[in-house]
Amino acid sequence: MEFIIETNNLTKRYGTVTVVDKVSLHVPKGKIYGLLGRNGAGKTTAMKMMLKLTFPTDGTVRLFGKDYKDNETAIYNKIGSIIETPGFYGNLTGYENLYILARLRGQLCKNAVLNALEIVGLHEEKRKIFADYSLGMKQRLGIAAALMHDPELLILDEPINGLDPIGISEIRSFLSKLSHDNGITIFISSHVLNEIEQIADIIGVMHKGRLIEEFDIAEPHKRNRKYIQFDLSDGHAAAEILENHYQITDFTVHDNTLKIYDFSHSIGDINRDFALNGLLVTKINTSEENLEEYFTKLIGGGGIA
Amino acid sequence: MRNLIYCELLKLKRSKIIPISITGVLSTPLLMLLEAVQTHYDNPEFVFTLSDVYNSSILYTMLLTNMMVYVAIASFLFSREYTESTLKTILPIPVSRTKLLFGKFCSLLLWIVTLNIVTWAGIYVVCGIYHAVFTLKEYSLLVAIEWFPKFLLGGILMFLTTSPFVFAAGITKGFVAPMIGSAVIVMGSAALANQEWGALYPWTATFFLVQGKIESTGYPTALSLGIIFMLSAVGFFMTYHHFKREDLK
Repeated sequence: MEFIIETNNLTKRYGTVTVVDKVSLHVPKGKIYGLLGRNGAGKTTAMKMMLKLTFPTDGTVRLFGKDYKDNETAIYNKIGSIIETPGFYGNLTGYENLYILARLRGQLCKNAVLNALEIVGLHEEKRKIFADYSLGMKQRLGIAAALMHDPELLILDEPINGLDPIGISEIRSFLSKLSHDNGITIFISSHVLNEIEQIADIIGVMHKGRLIEEFDIAEPHKRNRKYIQFDLSDGHAAAEILENHYQITDFTVHDNTLKIYDFSHSIGDINRDFALNGLLVTKINTSEENLEEYFTKLIGGGGIA
Repeated sequence: MRNLIYCELLKLKRSKIIPISITGVLSTPLLMLLEAVQTHYDNPEFVFTLSDVYNSSILYTMLLTNMMVYVAIASFLFSREYTESTLKTILPIPVSRTKLLFGKFCSLLLWIVTLNIVTWAGIYVVCGIYHAVFTLKEYSLLVAIEWFPKFLLGGILMFLTTSPFVFAAGITKGFVAPMIGSAVIVMGSAALANQEWGALYPWTATFFLVQGKIESTGYPTALSLGIIFMLSAVGFFMTYHHFKREDLK
């Protein structure tokens, strides 16, 4: 598989604080990769290192199969990016801001600027001063700047911040279209699970600077984990029976509730074994764990905030 | 590089710092006019020429008002990229940090020299007003043009002495520290403007050089120039070193 972004043990430390800790992630060509994590998980710093805004303490970054320090102009000309709230010059109009970026890139076609403004619905506001833009408009201008030069890779850090629900839906559809119709690779971060879930092909989960999970969202057992739940008199005794009699290891025990994710054995057989070993089973049901529950469990705490 | 400088200039469009800086450097001609009017009424017999006015104005321009204005615009040019969070939009384009810095210094030079020319032209205009009312001896464009190279040279030398303030703006990402620094520098300049030691103080050495007074201080011109270039080089190098290695947070 061809990876557009590949990091190997990417690490960033500020003094004694490790913000990004040995992150090795893989973004395949033409896919939407959603980087999920709570605020402060290290998503933005990881993205900044990919964009050379911050320098890694350790590890490597490969973009388009090459070390990111080799032939920077050719590599970064193929990338569009937004990091946090887009930064533009407050005294200039949206058009002038994009024009400066186009000039600096050596892209002198004025139509590119107008097209980008039209794509994000700002063409009628092109003469408005950036300082007078609403937060949503600023975000749209950032997206226009990222798209203006027809990039092959988009690195977007929380691009929907500040957008209203309709704007979010439009941008989501637009990004999906870009990826699926034009083959653009998108690396997008968010702390909002629903947003990532709806557009991403692959999800990476960062927590406390580390990449703790990376998987294809199409994998059903990851997306919706089915399980059998037993409420019984002694959860730990039941766990021993599962391991010793059935060699089942994919289960969790919390108090006297046992969740078994392995469906290779009959529920009836397991229930009978529990009863024969003196365990009182008060409830059995099959259930599904949705993605949100799964991530809540994965990163701890009361959810992705 | 031409693109970078063009973009730097475009970034200033509609910026309030432009009228503010022009107003700031026009305070020198205004002060000269007030001084001339006061002299006319206090000592009517005292005759002074356009050259005398330009000669006095060099002190205000190089040591007092213009220097503070130039520190302000230098701080603005560099710190705004942090305060408006534009570096994270520009650097991934990609634009090399070295080229970006070089483009900014070129724009600063251009701006400072332009403002010095504005001061020079402003003096000519206010002296014209004075001349129309009270008559100023030797008031002519030819005399003004003779002073033009000094204002150009003054602008270049003042630009060289702004680099430490640019470094301060880059480190603190704002105006405050450079402006406090410039106030201290201006106080020092005022104290040393008539002292021989002024030849060793970069911000007054520039003034002595433009006025051709270095020799009279007893210090060699090369020493004053060396001090100015050394200060400038240290400022440029520290700014470059900091900017090149800085993590954008």
